[in-house]
Amino acid sequence: MSLILLSVFLPTVSGILLVVSSFWEHLKAGTATEKRKKGILKRLHLYVGIILIFTALLALAAAWTGEREITLFYLMKDIPIYFKVDNLGRFFVTFVSIVWVLAGIYSFTYMKHEREEKRFFGCYLLVYGILIALDFSGNLVTFYLFYELMTLASVPLVMHSGMRESIMAGLKYLFYSMCGAYMGLFGIFFLYRYCDTLSFVEGGSLNAALVSGNEKLLMIAVFSMLIGFGAKAGMFPLHAWLPTAHPVAPSPASAVLSGVIVKSGVLAMIRVVFYVAGAEFVRGTWIQTAWMILSLITVFMGSMLAYREKVFKKRLAYSTVSQVSYILFGLSLLQPQAMTGALLHTVFHAFIKCGLFLTAGIFIFCCGKNRVEELKGIGRKMPKTLWCFTFASLALIGIPPASGFVSKWHLAQGALGAPVGILRYIGPAVLLVSALLTAGYLLPIVMNGFFPGTDFDEKKAGNAELKEAPAGMLIPLMILAGLSLLLGIFPSPLTEFVSRIAETLM
Amino acid sequence: MQFVQNFPFMSIILTLFSGPLSSILSGKKAKYLNLAVISIVGVMSAAVLAFTVSTGEPYVYMMGHFPAPWGNEIRVGVLEGLMAVFFCIIMLLSMLGGIKEREREIEESKQNLYYIMVNLLLSSLLALIYTNDLFTAYVFVEINTISACGLIMIRQNGRTFVAATRYMIMSLLGSGMLLMGICFLYGLTGHLLMSNIQEAVAALNQTGAYHLPLVISLGMISVGLAVKSALFPFHGWLPDAYGYSTVSSASILSSLVSKGYIFLLIKVMFRVFGFAVVWDSKVINVLFVFGISGMIIGSIDAIRSRNIRRMIAYSSVAQIGYIYMGFGLGSMEGFIASIFHVLSHAATKSLLFVSASGLTEASGNSAVFGELTGAGFRNKVAGVAFTVGSLSMVGLPAFSGFISKLLFAQAAAGHHDWKVLPTLIALAISTVLNTVYFLKTVIRIYTPVPKVECKKKDYVTITMRQQPVKFAALVCFIIINLILGLFSQPIVTLISDGLKMFA
Amino acid sequence: MDFSNLITNYEEAVAVILFGIGFSNLLLQKNLIKKIIGFNIMDTAMYMFLAFKGYISGRKAPIVVDGIQSMEAYINPIPSGLVLTGIVVSVSVTALMLSLTIRLYRRYHTLDLDEISTRLEKEGL
Repeated sequence: MSLILLSVFLPTVSGILLVVSSFWEHLKAGTATEKRKKGILKRLHLYVGIILIFTALLALAAAWTGEREITLFYLMKDIPIYFKVDNLGRFFVTFVSIVWVLAGIYSFTYMKHEREEKRFFGCYLLVYGILIALDFSGNLVTFYLFYELMTLASVPLVMHSGMRESIMAGLKYLFYSMCGAYMGLFGIFFLYRYCDTLSFVEGGSLNAALVSGNEKLLMIAVFSMLIGFGAKAGMFPLHAWLPTAHPVAPSPASAVLSGVIVKSGVLAMIRVVFYVAGAEFVRGTWIQTAWMILSLITVFMGSMLAYREKVFKKRLAYSTVSQVSYILFGLSLLQPQAMTGALLHTVFHAFIKCGLFLTAGIFIFCCGKNRVEELKGIGRKMPKTLWCFTFASLALIGIPPASGFVSKWHLAQGALGAPVGILRYIGPAVLLVSALLTAGYLLPIVMNGFFPGTDFDEKKAGNAELKEAPAGMLIPLMILAGLSLLLGIFPSPLTEFVSRIAETLM
Repeated sequence: MQFVQNFPFMSIILTLFSGPLSSILSGKKAKYLNLAVISIVGVMSAAVLAFTVSTGEPYVYMMGHFPAPWGNEIRVGVLEGLMAVFFCIIMLLSMLGGIKEREREIEESKQNLYYIMVNLLLSSLLALIYTNDLFTAYVFVEINTISACGLIMIRQNGRTFVAATRYMIMSLLGSGMLLMGICFLYGLTGHLLMSNIQEAVAALNQTGAYHLPLVISLGMISVGLAVKSALFPFHGWLPDAYGYSTVSSASILSSLVSKGYIFLLIKVMFRVFGFAVVWDSKVINVLFVFGISGMIIGSIDAIRSRNIRRMIAYSSVAQIGYIYMGFGLGSMEGFIASIFHVLSHAATKSLLFVSASGLTEASGNSAVFGELTGAGFRNKVAGVAFTVGSLSMVGLPAFSGFISKLLFAQAAAGHHDWKVLPTLIALAISTVLNTVYFLKTVIRIYTPVPKVECKKKDYVTITMRQQPVKFAALVCFIIINLILGLFSQPIVTLISDGLKMFA
Repeated sequence: MDFSNLITNYEEAVAVILFGIGFSNLLLQKNLIKKIIGFNIMDTAMYMFLAFKGYISGRKAPIVVDGIQSMEAYINPIPSGLVLTGIVVSVSVTALMLSLTIRLYRRYHTLDLDEISTRLEKEGL
């Protein structure tokens, strides 16, 4: 069997098995003793861990050992379910796998204080398999299929706790994603008419003869796809699900939600604009302008809202809204350097935001603190955690030499070099303001954490009993923080690879 | 003539006579007779389908050896065969899926009456599919109505009586218009056989004489059949009729009865008037507008309903709207999409009704949403089946609903007309609305309930061993859905071949 | 507009008017019995329409009397056949409707469908 299919099926099937067996367990709950439960848990972790690592290896092998493609079967006459490995897919699969494995290891410890671990890990594996398939999808319909499946499979992650609040949040997430996906589907219907093929071709596959005379209609279609897939990426106006869904989900889930799943919206936009419609079709039209403006609005608005927000995870969620729109702005410029910056920021943000959410999870897990002002003085008791947080924050703000600087540099350079009128100056200005705001909402946590002031009373804040986080949670966090720092110091191999992708698309 | 060619006529007669025969049998024997008849007819229809596919052309079967303008005829092509096979399968599965409910909800002494009605219904459906004579079609439309009314009111409570009465009144209005249209047409052309009428209509159309009466009769026939198949805004009877009758009835009514009328309408458009006349007449524009409004308003009503059965019923209104919207596009692709949707909706809706009955059974026979929490755990197969049906309705690729949406959208996008944007926007809105209410239900049935509460209410767990037949039926429904979703191309080819044979 | 056709074809005109009366009664009346009466008017109008269509003035019903076998002597028999079929259908439908009405009346002691519906809503059935 092909490596692609193996890497997709292994996690999907084992995930489904877990979900089914968790339902089974649900029926005869309460029969197992405490000791047996522990044994079951250990075996579960072993099973999940092995599958996660094995899948990651398979996926990486599938990605990096030569060209591969496979047609599974035909949905209709000329619409196959078709997988193909290309550079963009390789790029996405790699960082998705890293984040997924690390967050998985982290959740072995974290999930101890939540119920229904089997179901969680089942869905976790399932979503991983679907994401791999999404990254390897070779045409738009296959992509859409896995995009929908990803939404459906990740909803249980959001609703995990089963509280009313989280179910409402899950429904909101579902509703936004579905609305978005259907706007995407709406566009696919049109593109299917006017393209030679729905397979992804670098530079697009619009049929010029068919298009002529119908440009307006097609532009509406492409724009609705951008808005629709923008829902996943948290682009204004469909961004509101993010701050609702993230805080209620278990922390590892919100970490991957924010670090990876949101990026699939970015992937969708890249696929649509650069691989199906073609950059030339969009360049210089009102779509490009509208896209730029929307992403700039989102950048600014997200940072502002994050600055005002007091709940820690919600603040991070708003920060995601703003940071992902950096990426979208980079894409919307349709300029190679900006695109390089956007793709770099995709990886960096994945590592950084995942790390930040894992920190938030540690705070919730160890001391049940989820508001920003409760974190005063935490650095004295948990210095390693807070140091990791500090590195990640610096990287997100973009202070050299941390990684965020590199991507933002490329973004700003690209913006200044792009022929987009006044927006070439407004863009970098907004990015700068937003970076300041980022510093404004992340650094005070660090400051207060390490230097709570002279009148700080540990007993009153409930910090007296605190200890450093367990190793199972700390190590993944350290790796992520380290990555976000190291990639900033040695960015050149990655930058080269990414800029090659960008060059071929323009 | 080959022996196979007798099969359409034989299947109509067989089902027609098994009706009266059931009246002297006991309920149990009548049930077996009914199942046997449906299966036999299904096999015969499959043979007919295979035959027509192999010859590649339709054939005409004379009744009683009277030649064309005087005698009554049956005309069989690929599409007719396909429909007959499909209707039989769905009917068989719906009957199998509702055995327990029927035993519980229908009085002992009336069991066999139910099977009379089902047999008559199948016979009239087959006749609607095969006949080439307009007046015969009318007679069987009435038989269809009467037996459908019987199916609704066999479960005796106030709601079903009111629903049956409303259904009858709407149906009578519809068949009155249908008959008047047929009479006009007969007066204009002097024929009752569809092929002869078409020649006469073509001749009239060429001279331009009697244009207005032609359009009026087309309008009356279309509106009449639309009323009978519960196109918005004529759907007032539908939620009660589907929501409170026994589950086999609901599933048969929603997936087959209305489809029989729709098939007749397709026939009238293609074979009686001819496509060109229909296209010129603008009647399809009216159907288009009603179809689109139905798609949206049906979904909104479904969101507002508090009862799972009524929700599914309202969703039928929306789906019927899809079908008429496809007609309204007025292109060959639109018709293909509509016919595919007839199949896909029949498969999905009966699946939903049967699985919903499994869920309500596990929740103390209450169909109210609040009681259904966690029902997916108590009745696992029904839960999975309901999820599959919902995903198909929502339009997830790999299920049948996606293919029909894709076909509709393709048909619309290839159309250079004012209808393009309304179609696509309505498709998008209605799909999102579908998502809202179906996935809401799916999430509810998979929300766990504490054990203590389960015991307090009369919730029961239903396992596969208790009801093997129902579960087998559900699994078959799921398989049909997947086949339609994954291997749609051969079916679409069959439909388009069949439509070509139609004209 | 030219209404002379309406005068010459007065039979059809009358039939269509009757059809309209029956149709609107079936649709608008509240009383179930009146609805059924409306339905019967509608159907009768249609039979009249068909019968007029089949009639050729000066000819006889198609029953061979006195050995005259020429086609010219008789009216067209097919519409009459259709009328007969139609009557059978309408009788069975009327019977069904009446039996339904009886059932409803015994349960709810009213012939107004809307009232029954509101009562059902209140019962919460």
